[in-house]
Amino acid sequence: MNVRVLPVILFVLTLGLSGCATEGKVPAEQAVASFYAAVRAHDGERACALLAPEAADGLRTGGQDCAKAILDLDLPGGQVRESAVWGDEAQVRLTHDTVFLHRFPRGWLVRAAGCTPRGDLPYRCEVKT
Amino acid sequence: MKRFVRDNALSLFFLVAFLLTLVGQSFAGLADVNADQLSSGGAAVSWWHYVTSSDFAVDVAENWQSEYLQFLLFIVITVWLVQRGSPESKKPGEEGRGSAAEQKVGRHTVPGSPGWAGATGLRQTLYGNSLGLLMGLIFVLSWLAQSVAGTASYNRQQLSQLQDPVTWGGYVLSPDFWNRTLQNWQSELLAVLSMVVLSIYLRQRGSPESKPVGTPHEETAVEG
Repeated sequence: MNVRVLPVILFVLTLGLSGCATEGKVPAEQAVASFYAAVRAHDGERACALLAPEAADGLRTGGQDCAKAILDLDLPGGQVRESAVWGDEAQVRLTHDTVFLHRFPRGWLVRAAGCTPRGDLPYRCEVKT
Repeated sequence: MKRFVRDNALSLFFLVAFLLTLVGQSFAGLADVNADQLSSGGAAVSWWHYVTSSDFAVDVAENWQSEYLQFLLFIVITVWLVQRGSPESKKPGEEGRGSAAEQKVGRHTVPGSPGWAGATGLRQTLYGNSLGLLMGLIFVLSWLAQSVAGTASYNRQQLSQLQDPVTWGGYVLSPDFWNRTLQNWQSELLAVLSMVVLSIYLRQRGSPESKPVGTPHEETAVEG
């Protein structure tokens, strides 16, 4: 192998890494925008349809209706500040919330919302799978 | 064709075994990742999706880098260090790079010597160290690939566990990176140590990696 190949490989690896980090950011941010638009419009059915199945199931505990439970949480939302996508997982930071998503065959769905950081521990979330 | 296979049987065996185990690893890894995906509320992924993912890349690269490091060290350190009685070592007193005559370089080349062995200066230095250089280059690139793919794989896992992702620099300093790296290094170093020491006292009849069965334990640099 020619030693001149090294910078090329490094460049490709760097591109690959940045590609991993940016690919899919916009669709993930759009999914969060749609979710919060439904919450703000008090459309609980629509908001629940944008949740990952297990996250929606989590709101149905005790025979509760997901559409009502999601609106009762009074999730804060806000403007998108930054986002990160790694594989099929995404994190979108808003001015008043941090949302986690997973890419399903039908697109990005919210896995966790209403999340607050706890240092090195996992975020504490109002909605989660 | 028959002759080609016989003359290259050793390389062909390891090439086929390598490809079969790599395919086997891809299916076992896919099953493992999908079990993880489903238990965290995600969706199962396809085989193609998995083999092009950072999860598969980091698992492959972390093993490659340690194997190439093992051979790099073995190739380079045996220039300077010996082990009395080992067929993997030169005889005590023969440490070092060897004279031009011993190495058949410069004006000491013989008919059939590689072209660059007869060259002088940089070309002879490069060719004279080409095995170690290439092994070293593959080691560094594999380790770099492990760090890059490891960052992506680690961050995917962090997000799936509702934790913040880290930068490449943060990952290279993380316990995950060093745990993956050192657990591979220690096993490779133990394997080399075992080979060097056990081959002093134990034999494998017919193998060039062993001394002939009846060779005394003290004899060094004798291969059967």
